[in-house]
Amino acid sequence: MARRRVVKYWFVAGVKDNIPLCVQLFNAAQESIRVVSTPIPWNEHEKKVLTAILSGDPPDVVNLVTPVPKWAARKALVALDPAITRDHFDTTRFFPSLWQEMSYRGRTYALPAYTGSYALFYNRRLLREAGLDPDRPPANWQEIQDYSRRLTRRENGRIVRMGFIPQYGTIETPLIIAFEQGARFIDPAGTRVQLTAPEVVSALQWERDFFDLYTVEEVSAFMGGFGYGNQQGFIAEKVALFINDNSFIDQIARYHPELDYGVAMIPAWGEGPSASSAGSWWLAIPRGAKNREDAWTFMKFVVSRETQLAESMSRDETLFPVNRFAANDSDFLGMHRYMAIFSRQMEQTRSKSIVPLVHDIFWREFSLARERSLRGVMSPEQALGQAERTIQAFLDRALEYDRYVDARMETTEF
Amino acid sequence: MRALNKNTVWGYLFASPWIVGFLLFGLYPILVSFWYSLCQYDVLRIPQYIGLRNYRELLFEDHYFYTAVWNTLFYTLVRTPLVIVGSLLLAMLVSKAVRGVRLFRTIYFIPSIISGVILSVLWMWLLNPEYGLVNSTLQFFGLQGPLWLIDPRWSKPAIILMSVWSLGGGRMLVFLAAIQNVPKHFYEAVEMDGGGWWARFRHVTLPFISPVLFLWFIFEIIGSLQVFVEAYVMTKGGPLNSTLFYNLYLYNKAFDDFDMGYASALAWLLFILAGIITLIQFRVSRKWVYYSGGVGK
Repeated sequence: MARRRVVKYWFVAGVKDNIPLCVQLFNAAQESIRVVSTPIPWNEHEKKVLTAILSGDPPDVVNLVTPVPKWAARKALVALDPAITRDHFDTTRFFPSLWQEMSYRGRTYALPAYTGSYALFYNRRLLREAGLDPDRPPANWQEIQDYSRRLTRRENGRIVRMGFIPQYGTIETPLIIAFEQGARFIDPAGTRVQLTAPEVVSALQWERDFFDLYTVEEVSAFMGGFGYGNQQGFIAEKVALFINDNSFIDQIARYHPELDYGVAMIPAWGEGPSASSAGSWWLAIPRGAKNREDAWTFMKFVVSRETQLAESMSRDETLFPVNRFAANDSDFLGMHRYMAIFSRQMEQTRSKSIVPLVHDIFWREFSLARERSLRGVMSPEQALGQAERTIQAFLDRALEYDRYVDARMETTEF
Repeated sequence: MRALNKNTVWGYLFASPWIVGFLLFGLYPILVSFWYSLCQYDVLRIPQYIGLRNYRELLFEDHYFYTAVWNTLFYTLVRTPLVIVGSLLLAMLVSKAVRGVRLFRTIYFIPSIISGVILSVLWMWLLNPEYGLVNSTLQFFGLQGPLWLIDPRWSKPAIILMSVWSLGGGRMLVFLAAIQNVPKHFYEAVEMDGGGWWARFRHVTLPFISPVLFLWFIFEIIGSLQVFVEAYVMTKGGPLNSTLFYNLYLYNKAFDDFDMGYASALAWLLFILAGIITLIQFRVSRKWVYYSGGVGK
């Protein structure tokens, strides 16, 4: 028997995952390649991959979640375009926003692997209690304010329940609102930051108006009592409206199975379309990887409809497939009555990868601008203006370095 | 002569693991970081030499630099005297020959062996405005506690408050040893002259332990300038950058933004700052530190 060729695969994992199902399936499905998977802890995972690439002996495939362009812009990944063309690999299987995120300056560097789709969770019991129709969740951001006002309860002056909290959860409310109005955040050339565009200002203004009835401090103090599991705000019925991803269904089932809730599309801005933000876990071949051909074979296997379905459905907390055929498969949709909403919402997502060269600075500044505007330190325009200047200064620096490197360093081709 | 040479060779040989380790993993990175501080460099790509631009931008354009310096100096200047005096008081308490004093020493020491990350998570709960033990206790006495880590005015004091946790640690033990080393006959002399406890402390204990205090002042200031874990775990620099400490900013630049050149320049500026402060301390120390052997004069 011939010896199998080895593909070294690194993935970011929690404690429970030993060998991912896709690896088990792949190793069982053929006999010439063996994928050896190594879980790396979430903390410091970027640094671990970084040093592996620098050492010159990186794994053949990595599974990461921070934006592809952040890595691609630094020439850390192998450009996959030659392999995609050669194999006539169909890329329309991926949700468009996820696929877009895989490329940088017109070249493709990764394949999406798994994602989470976000939607609005609403507590039907609390809606009924507040005299609202439990079959008519809020459809736009104005209604979120109105509903929230009626759902919020105080006892002895202290908040004991809130309708909606713009800060609660991983999704940034003003970002969604800005996306829905078509905000780009940067000019088409990717060199001028545009945070003070009216769409962004009005998003921050919405958040500030929301806080007319509450102070940031009392809401923060109220949120201080939230935790995980049955202490989670929505699960503990302390928050009635909450945006979260599809795996939240599994958490509710585990910690509060009797909770009477529904799932709806993320509220829209006025009459416009609903939008969401999503990023995905992705697979890529790091610069310096030895076994690229077999790595590519494994990557294609992971994103196939069959593997996607099997892996998505095997988890305690459902992963959302990046493959549209898998996400719309009747078996997958049949997992839960609300799964179809997540599939629909997934078609309307935008990527958070906006300025790859200064990605983290951008989001740090965006959060800071929100905080400044909410705490009344500055007006939304001023806060966004200051953030824009800071990001621009670092972007100019990064662009200059980028030009210097581009003239002296090649991108690794497949 | 030959034997001496042989011994020297053996000596170096035995010390070589440390020497090699220091040269490779200590000195080399330090020197290289100086070179990178003159470059744009994101680790994955080749460095670009830009002269002193990182330093210039830090000092004259980057307002976060001064936010970070201010936050760090505030922390250092408030915390250092507090922990030194606190540990000294504790050491004096447990230096008394009372029953069960060994037990007290142990009890006070135990908290200091807990690691920074665990301590930070623990304190996040203690300082929780709604459910935390600190505010519940204040409420018991009819006081409305502040929002601590959520309020930009209270976030730094909250992190300083955490330091009381380690008052009974290594620092207290060293102070205790120093106090116990003070020759007894000096106390007897004070008593014969009719001096009370204050005179004993002021004119005997304090001068004798002053070299130890001085050393710990330097340790604590350098240590405080490097405050990191608390902010990294609890606040990520917020709210409103009120806990953006120097090393947290450096960490963000190096490991979130991959801007290693900029981060190296930050590191060197901190080195210079710590050097200046230490130099000032040495100058001032001539006025208050007493070396019984006459050293240091």
